[in-house]
Amino acid sequence: MVGKDCVAIACDLRLGNQSLGVANNFEKIFQLGHVFLGLTGLATDVTTVYENFRMKTNLYKMREEREIEPESFANLVSSSLYERRFGPWFVGPLVAGINSKTGKPFICGFDFIGCIDYAKDFVVSGTATDQLYGMCESLYEPDLEPEDLFETISQALLNAADRDALSGWGAVVYVITKDKVIKRYLKSRQD
Amino acid sequence: MSRRYDSRTTIFSPEGRLYQVEYALEAINHAGTAIGVMAKDGVVLAAERKVTSKLLEQDTSAEKMYVLNDKTVCAVAGMTADAGILINSIRYSAQQYLKTYGEDIPIETLVKRICDVKQGYTQHGGLRPFGVSFIFAGHDERYGFQLYTSNPSGNYSGWKATSIGANNTSAQTLLKQDYKDGMTLEEAQNLALKVLSKTTDSNKLTSEKVEFSTIGLDADGKLQLRIWTPEQIEKLLKESGVLTRDEEGEES
Amino acid sequence: MDIILGIRVKDSVIVATSKAFTRGISVLKDTDDKTRVLNQYNLLAFTGESGDTTQFADYIQANIQLFTMRENTELNSKAIASFVRQQLATSIRSRTPYQVQVLLGGLHNGSEPFLSLIDYLGTRVDLPYCAHGYAAFYTMSLLDHHYKPDMALDEGLKLLKLCHQELVKRMPIEFKGLYVKVIDKDGIRDIDFS
Repeated sequence: MVGKDCVAIACDLRLGNQSLGVANNFEKIFQLGHVFLGLTGLATDVTTVYENFRMKTNLYKMREEREIEPESFANLVSSSLYERRFGPWFVGPLVAGINSKTGKPFICGFDFIGCIDYAKDFVVSGTATDQLYGMCESLYEPDLEPEDLFETISQALLNAADRDALSGWGAVVYVITKDKVIKRYLKSRQD
Repeated sequence: MSRRYDSRTTIFSPEGRLYQVEYALEAINHAGTAIGVMAKDGVVLAAERKVTSKLLEQDTSAEKMYVLNDKTVCAVAGMTADAGILINSIRYSAQQYLKTYGEDIPIETLVKRICDVKQGYTQHGGLRPFGVSFIFAGHDERYGFQLYTSNPSGNYSGWKATSIGANNTSAQTLLKQDYKDGMTLEEAQNLALKVLSKTTDSNKLTSEKVEFSTIGLDADGKLQLRIWTPEQIEKLLKESGVLTRDEEGEES
Repeated sequence: MDIILGIRVKDSVIVATSKAFTRGISVLKDTDDKTRVLNQYNLLAFTGESGDTTQFADYIQANIQLFTMRENTELNSKAIASFVRQQLATSIRSRTPYQVQVLLGGLHNGSEPFLSLIDYLGTRVDLPYCAHGYAAFYTMSLLDHHYKPDMALDEGLKLLKLCHQELVKRMPIEFKGLYVKVIDKDGIRDIDFS
């Protein structure tokens, strides 16, 4: 979600095998320099895809002698996913971050073969996609300050997850401003 | 005599020598000096860059210091182009290790991997060996701070203080004289600069001619790895007093 | 379906595996040990397609030992878990995937108890207690209710006994009892569990 000179990204913590909850500590958001990558979908691919991008961004960092910017990273995600067009990773990635040079907030989402969905307000992914769209559509307003953005994204996630049998079991929210990242764990229904 | 055997990298001469490897080693002895000094709380690498012409565009980034992963840097002596190939492959290999084991590659393992590549080119024929020596500075869980060198033959060794490149024997002697166990990172920095200033062929060290990098711990005990900018080196040169001592030396 | 269960307690990890080796409707053996010792502080328990299981476990065991010989150092638990996960994640996208579920118990760096659950897809989670297959349905609620992170080993074994009773009572499959192993600072040892 985009606010005024800030972005926020959040995920739940459940890992499940069909209806059986297996873990309530499975984080789906990863930090790569000052860019944040959220991954939903098949858990093994979430881990593998994260490891691949960690590798690619580390190599990028050493080659370019700077961290990757969100816009470039989004294109890296897109081309890396499309590379597997006929044997894809089963993930629904989101990218969020603030361009360190221009200070511009950036978010985008992808389908599992890398088509970029640029947005100026919010992007969603995962099993609770429908519920999240509903919540975001009604709660979101533009140019929120970081604290208000935190409240908005948290309520949107929590209430969408409660309407989805496969989501929940705790949540993590990152609020990102130009010079600070705040990470908060949220308690939520444990059923 | 040597002409019959030295055109191949892979063939022993009757005296049991590999000429191409020796030539590569010799080539490095003419390259800019690089020095590594270990301290109790970090490692210092310093290297001399040869400025060939004042018309040459000065690259802002270091050309002899390379970050290999979050915990290792290296200094290069020899053919920079050859080094690039090895550095690319070792960066990739270090990331591959990170992906497999979920932790950073141990320094010695990383050095060993470079050396396996180098060794390969002394045995599998047709090509010339890599014309580079490295000094590696790094940190890992098992041995803490570490300093290694490697050369074109594919041998490597661990050191408290060492040097490669031009005048490495005299640098080595100076290091042996002045090295003390349990030095701080700052003392090690000064020692490295002092030795570099004494072994350099030009009469004065300037920030254009020196490259510098350190690995140490910051206030929170987190590993800090950095390649110094020319401005930072300029400041260090002034503060360490290496410049003034040289000027005094010239006067007397 | 075999039983593979793990509980991480204060200074140790308990791993329990069923003794039965079944093919179709027959129990062929009642002394089958579904674990491999990887090194002093790490134990791999496995279940899945027979044939794949032992082949995979032996392969992992050999690779861990090869690493130790080459690098002259023991791999810690997290590195092993990461390695096993990568093997399975690579395998699932190959032409002949291993159908193996594993559970890795050990002391990370010889001190910190560690338990990791990895399925045939390469999904890995580090947990305080876990089980593969049907056993999870019968035991998770018991474990959710009674488990405390600072439990001593004997309390952990008591809890395991409860799980065992529940499995005997409610599971319609004969599993011929459990082999129980404990990993603590003294290494890996069998526990007499009857």
